[in-house]
Amino acid sequence: MAVTETLPRNDGIAPTTYHVKAGGQGAALDIRDFNLWYGETQALFENSLEIQKGMVTAMIGPSGCGKSTLLRSLNRMNDLVDGLRISGQIMVDDFDIYGRGVDVIALRKRMGMVFQKPNPFAMSIYDNVTYPLRVDGVTKKSILDDTVERALRSAALWDEAKDRLKESALGMSGGQQQRLCIARAVASDPEVLLMDEPCSALDPIATAKIENLISDLRGQYTIVIVTHSMSQAARVSDNTAFMYLGRIIEYGATETIFTNPKVARTNDYVTGRFG
Amino acid sequence: MSALHEQQIPASGAAGLAGVAARDAAGGRRVRRFSADLSAVGEPALWAFGGALALGIILIAGFLAMIAWNGFSTFWPKPIERVELTSGEVLAGVATRGGPYRPGESTLAQLDDETRAAIAANDGFASRTLYQTANFDLYGDDFRWVSDFEVADITRPEDFFYIERQQWGVFIGRIVSLVVDGEQVEITPDRLSREQRAARQRFTEIRGLERGDIGGINHLIERERLAIRRAEIRLGEDSPEAQAAIAEAQARIAELQAEFQTLQQRVNAIRAEDRTTRITFAEVNGQQVETELSQVVRFFPANALSLPDKIGIYLSRWWEFVSAEPREANTQGGVLPAIFGTVAMTLLMVVFVAPFGVITALYLREYAKQGRVTSIVRISVNNLAGVPSIVYGVFGLGFFAYAMGGTIDQLFYPEALPNPTFGKGGILWASLTLALLTVPVVIVASEEALQAVPRSMREGSLACGASKWQTIRYIVLPKALPGIMTGMILAMARGAGEVAPLMLVGVVKLAPALPVDGFAPFIHLDRSFMHLGFHIFDVGFQSRNSEAGKPMVFVTTVLLLALIITMNATAIYVRNRLKRKYASGEF
Ligand SMILES: Nc1ncnc2c1ncn2[C@@H]1O[C@H](COP(=O)(O)OP(=O)(O)O)[C@@H](O)[C@H]1O
Ligand SMILES: [Mg+2]
Repeated sequence: MAVTETLPRNDGIAPTTYHVKAGGQGAALDIRDFNLWYGETQALFENSLEIQKGMVTAMIGPSGCGKSTLLRSLNRMNDLVDGLRISGQIMVDDFDIYGRGVDVIALRKRMGMVFQKPNPFAMSIYDNVTYPLRVDGVTKKSILDDTVERALRSAALWDEAKDRLKESALGMSGGQQQRLCIARAVASDPEVLLMDEPCSALDPIATAKIENLISDLRGQYTIVIVTHSMSQAARVSDNTAFMYLGRIIEYGATETIFTNPKVARTNDYVTGRFG
Repeated sequence: MSALHEQQIPASGAAGLAGVAARDAAGGRRVRRFSADLSAVGEPALWAFGGALALGIILIAGFLAMIAWNGFSTFWPKPIERVELTSGEVLAGVATRGGPYRPGESTLAQLDDETRAAIAANDGFASRTLYQTANFDLYGDDFRWVSDFEVADITRPEDFFYIERQQWGVFIGRIVSLVVDGEQVEITPDRLSREQRAARQRFTEIRGLERGDIGGINHLIERERLAIRRAEIRLGEDSPEAQAAIAEAQARIAELQAEFQTLQQRVNAIRAEDRTTRITFAEVNGQQVETELSQVVRFFPANALSLPDKIGIYLSRWWEFVSAEPREANTQGGVLPAIFGTVAMTLLMVVFVAPFGVITALYLREYAKQGRVTSIVRISVNNLAGVPSIVYGVFGLGFFAYAMGGTIDQLFYPEALPNPTFGKGGILWASLTLALLTVPVVIVASEEALQAVPRSMREGSLACGASKWQTIRYIVLPKALPGIMTGMILAMARGAGEVAPLMLVGVVKLAPALPVDGFAPFIHLDRSFMHLGFHIFDVGFQSRNSEAGKPMVFVTTVLLLALIITMNATAIYVRNRLKRKYASGEF
C-alpha cells in the first residue's frame, strides 16, 4: 500500500495537530518521534502521541496506514518481525520500552492485548483465562479461581461461562471467544489494554456487547483501540488519532475530530470522502 | 495441462502473426469457445489422473489380495493323494501347485507315440503338479514334480496321515504301531491323541528345563567366570584380594554345577521315560520309520477330516505360528522370537528417534535464524532420506558396533574380551541405525507441524507475557503434536519394514535368546535378535529347501503387514485421542 509513496513535506500532512481532551491523569504512554521500518520500507514516520491514562484512545485511518504497526509497537509484538528497525522512544513511567535492559516479558505483562481475530488457546475456558498467571508462576488454586471470576465478570462473560469453565474454549461462539480473549487480557490486571480491531470478525450484536464492555472498562484501564469503523471510534473513545500513510495527522478529543477537525484531510476521512 | 497447451498453441501462433500477443491470444480462444457446441466433453487430464489412481489402487489391492490369499490358505489342511505312475512307481503327497511346462527332448523320447502326439498338439506343452512328498529322512527331498502323462491312477486313502514332526519335517504315510511304556498297544484315534498330548507335555517339560533352568545356571556360571576374569584384571592376578574373590566365585561355580547335575539328572530321567513311548510310521511303499511319540507335533488323517476338524487344525497351526519358536531351519513352527524382535526393535527405535527428531525440528523452526544455513540443513536432511538403507547399515556397523561398541567393551566389559559384548551387531545398534534412517521423516513432519501452528496462537501467548519457551511448551507443541505423531507413524512404518541395514547390525537367522529375559539386567540390548522381514528373506531364499519355505514367506508377510498395521493403528489411535484431548483442553 501507499506507505512507500514519498510525500512532499508541506502537503498538509505535517505538522501533526494536537488538541487532546482535558481531564486525563497524564500520559500512560508517551510516544516520541517514533519511526519504524520493515526492512527497507518505512511504515511509521515521526509518530508522537501521548496516550492518556484511564481513557479510551481510538486510532483510525485507512487500511495500511500503520495503525496496527503502531499498536504492536506499544508492547513490542513487532519484535517477532525479522529486519525490523525503529528510532525514537516510547515512554512508560519514564522508561523507554525500546531502551536497553528492558524486560520485554514484564512489559507485555503490564499490557493486555486483544487481536483482530479471536485467538483463544486450545484449552478449557478456565485455562485460557488463567494462562497469563500460570506462565507467571502462579499455581495457587484460590488465586486462579478468583482471577477467573473477576476477569470473566469484567469481560461480561461470567454468567455464560461459569457452568462450563472446564469445557474447551473452542466450543464458544465468535463473540464469546473475543470476550474470553478480553478476559484473558485483563486477567493479569494490566495497566493498558491494546485492542486491534477487536470487532472486525464479529456480528453486530457481538460488536455491541464488546463496545458496551469497553465503556465499562473505561477508567479501570488505559485502552488503545484500533478500529476501521468511525462510528465505533465515535461511540467508545475519548480521544482519537487519525493516521494516514504512517503519520499521525491529527490527534484530539473525539468530538472535535468528528465534528470540527482542524486538518482538511481528517475532515475528508471522517466524512467519508476517502478511505 | 496438455489440454491447455493444445488450446494455446494455435491461438498464440495466430497472435504472433498479428503482432499483439496477449489480446489476440485471448480473442482466439474466445472465438473457439463460442464455436464449440454445448455438449459436455469432460476434462481429458482428469481422466488421466483418475486412470492413474485406479491403476495404482488395482495394483496395491491385487498385491495385498495375493499376499492375503497365499498367506491365509497356507495353513489349511489339504488332502493327501496316492499317485500311481505308469512306470509302476507309487508315491503319496500333497499337491501344492502345478502348471504347464515344456518337457525336454530326452523326456519326450521315452514317451509312447500317443502322448507325444498329444503334447505336440498342445504346442509342446504338458502339464505337471508339484507334490509335497515329505519324508525328507527317507527320500532326501521334500518335493517332487509329477507330469500328468506319467500318472496312471490317483486315490485318496483315508488311512494316510499328515504328520508334523519336531525334526525332519513332515511325514506322509500310515501309522503302523504304537508302543506305550515299552508295550505294544492297539491304535485307536482316541488313545493316539491322548498319548501324543502326554508325550508333548514331556517334551515341553524337557525343553523348559533345558532352556529355562539349565540355561539359567549356565548363564550364572558364565557370569562367575567373568567375575573371576574381572578380578584378575582389576586387582592384579596374584593379589590376595583377587585370590579371595576368585575363590569365592569358584565356590559358587561348584554350587551351581551341583545344581546343574541334579537338573540334568531330572532331564535324563524324563528322557528315558520318553524313549519308551514310540510310534512307527510307514510311507506309501511300506518303508518304516520309528521315533519317539513326543517328536510328533501334530498329526491328522488328511483325507478323513470333517470341516470342524480342518478349522481346528487351521487355527492350531496359526496359534503355533504366532506363539512358538521356529523349527526345521525356520521353515516350520512359529515366529514368536521374530515378532518379539521386530516389535522391540521398532519401539526402541521410536524411543531414540522421537526426542532427537523433534528437538532438531524445534531448533530449526523456532530458534535458528532462517537463512542460508537452515536451508542447507533442510536440504541435507531431505537428502538423507534418499540414501540407500544399506549405507546406513554399513555406517551402523562401522560406527555404532565397532567404534562405539568396541570402546564400551574396552571400558566396561574387558573381562569378556576377545568376545565382543557390545562390539558387534545387536538390538541397540540396530535401533540406533534405524533411528538414523528414519529421523529425516520425523524432522520434516515435525517442522511442518510446527509451521502449521497459527501465528495468532503464538502472538496470543506472547502477548500474555509468556516467554518463548513457555509459548512453545504450552501452545505450539501441543498443537503440533498430532502432526509430529504422524511423522512418528511414518517413521515406524518405514523402520519396521526395513531389512537390508539390519542384516549388518544385529539380525540373525536364529537367535539363541530373546533380548528380554528373566536374568538381570533383564533387558539385554547387546543381543542379536530375529526380525520378521529378515525371516521372510531367510525362509524364502536361504533355507535348504526353499520350496518348503515358500508358503511361510506369505504367511510371514501377512504377519509382518498385520504387525505394522497394528502398530500404526495404535499410534493413530493415540494421535486422535491427543487431538481430541487438546481440542477440549483437559490437560
Ligand atoms: N510484518 C510486516 N512486514 C513488512 N511489512 C509490513 C508488516 N506488517 C505490516 N507491514 C506493512 O506496513 C504497513 C502498515 O501496516 P498495518 O500497520 O498493518 O496497517 P493497518 O493496521 O493500519 O491496516 C502496510 O503497508 C503493511 O504492508
Ligand atoms: Mg491492522
